[in-house]
Amino acid sequence: MISVSDLTLTYPSGKGVFDLDFSVAEGSVAGYLGPNGAGKTTTIRALLGFMRPDSGKCLIDGMDCSAEASQIQHRLGYLPGEIAFPDGMDGVELLTLLSALRGTRNGGRRQELLDMFELDPKGKIRKFSKGMKQKLAIVAAFMHDPDVLVLDEPSSGLDPLMQHRLMELIFAQKAQGKTILMSSHVFEEVEKVCDSVLIIKEGRLVAQSDVGSLMGSQRKLFVLTVADPAEATRLLEAEGFPAMLQSSGQLEVAVPGEQVDRFVKTAAKLQVLNLDAKHQTLEDIFIGYYGKGGSGQ
Amino acid sequence: MSLVLFGHTVKRNWGLLLIFIFVLSFYMTVMTAMYNPDDMGGVAIMVEAFPAGLTTAMGFDQIPTDLSGFLASWLYGMLMMAFPMVYSIILGHRLVAKMVDNGSFAYLLSTPLTRARIIVTKGVYALVSMMALFAALFAVGTLYAEAQFPGKLNVAAFLSLNITTMLLSMSVMMIVFFFSCLFNQARYSLGLGAGVPVMFLLMNMLGGSSPDLAFLSDISIFGLIDPMALAAGESALAVNLQYGAIITVLFVASVVIFVRKRLPL
Repeated sequence: MISVSDLTLTYPSGKGVFDLDFSVAEGSVAGYLGPNGAGKTTTIRALLGFMRPDSGKCLIDGMDCSAEASQIQHRLGYLPGEIAFPDGMDGVELLTLLSALRGTRNGGRRQELLDMFELDPKGKIRKFSKGMKQKLAIVAAFMHDPDVLVLDEPSSGLDPLMQHRLMELIFAQKAQGKTILMSSHVFEEVEKVCDSVLIIKEGRLVAQSDVGSLMGSQRKLFVLTVADPAEATRLLEAEGFPAMLQSSGQLEVAVPGEQVDRFVKTAAKLQVLNLDAKHQTLEDIFIGYYGKGGSGQ
Repeated sequence: MSLVLFGHTVKRNWGLLLIFIFVLSFYMTVMTAMYNPDDMGGVAIMVEAFPAGLTTAMGFDQIPTDLSGFLASWLYGMLMMAFPMVYSIILGHRLVAKMVDNGSFAYLLSTPLTRARIIVTKGVYALVSMMALFAALFAVGTLYAEAQFPGKLNVAAFLSLNITTMLLSMSVMMIVFFFSCLFNQARYSLGLGAGVPVMFLLMNMLGGSSPDLAFLSDISIFGLIDPMALAAGESALAVNLQYGAIITVLFVASVVIFVRKRLPL
């Protein structure tokens, strides 16, 4: 369980995060989205205890992230966004050192993860490719079987197959009741694994909602191919659905989420040759919030 | 203090220590080999060939006649201060600020170690490795001198000289370590961590070159020690206590500051 209340952490430049309030329940995955420089990493710094907030609190499993940072590490897995391993280390050496410092001897779990990501950790980390470093960091974050995971852009640098494995791993962790906060720029992946999303802009949360209702609240776009576009336009507009006639002869209709049923019933009166729903992604929603000057809900 | 982290720190840094042990052992044996118990006059003539200001700045002002005095003057007046200082600058920066600056410190903090334990462990390594450096040099110096000139080295005075020079070098190490813990950016840590000790060393050299500038060496950390007096068997208690106090204060301050500060990891 992660809970953040009234968190304010500012830098001398005046940037930072302001009055953040959110929580991530056990067994759920929260996606943390926002443009670069919005405050995602700052929030993570507060959660990891790297920086003491100016005011407010963040708690992980009821423990204060600043005062009890070291105890929290027993049950926290952290995947940094910018991975920097200590100089000159060997992959095996790093994993062994982390296990020794954590006092965990769960070699089986570590091997499972290495197999899952097809990583051979032998050799100098400096010589690893970006993807290999990311895999090593993933293994390091998950191998002590933590209850809470903070993942900063977890899939960066991974190939599509490995991204898929990572999503499966996150699903499996969620099923085991782990609490997961992940920042990401890949909307597809957030849409797939996250139960809720937090959107931050300029240090403030501009949206906080579960994925389903966030998507539901959005307007849907339907593309109709009909026998008689002119008549169809008239009928739809009479019912309150403004239709846009495309150059291809198709009609594009924007429908508010709660009126989809009425739209379909109206369209049934027409001679429909084809009906396509344009998939509106989280990305469109995000871009929407992004453009609104931070005045979201 | 964490033994696991200490072992890891040894593993990562023993190579650096070995280089300095090797280089300083080389100087130690070469200098000892140059000692000629029957004819110190030759050295005196050589020294007089240099301008007086230069020789005093280098710490070669008194012409010693016994072996421990010879080593104190030729080695401990300059080289045994400067080389351990360079070692301190490299190691002190590497232990903390470099890892904070490049972000790899996050890996230590993602374990259940508290910040205080991490910094205490690293500081202890810094001090222990300096102790190892001087222990090795004392052993090399004593063994080589006994082999070349049996009975000529005043071992007790040579030990006292090494202990005080070690405490001086530990103080320098703690200056570097303090800046390493204070700053998050490598350029500030390295700038002050290297700048302050080098400035102290230059002040000591300038202070030795002219009586008018003597106050400079009096306020330099390198000026507290008088190698020739120690080699002559004078008590080092007062200066040892001063260095001990400097080491303690800087170590405690390093830990306190690091525990409280914000880390941009």
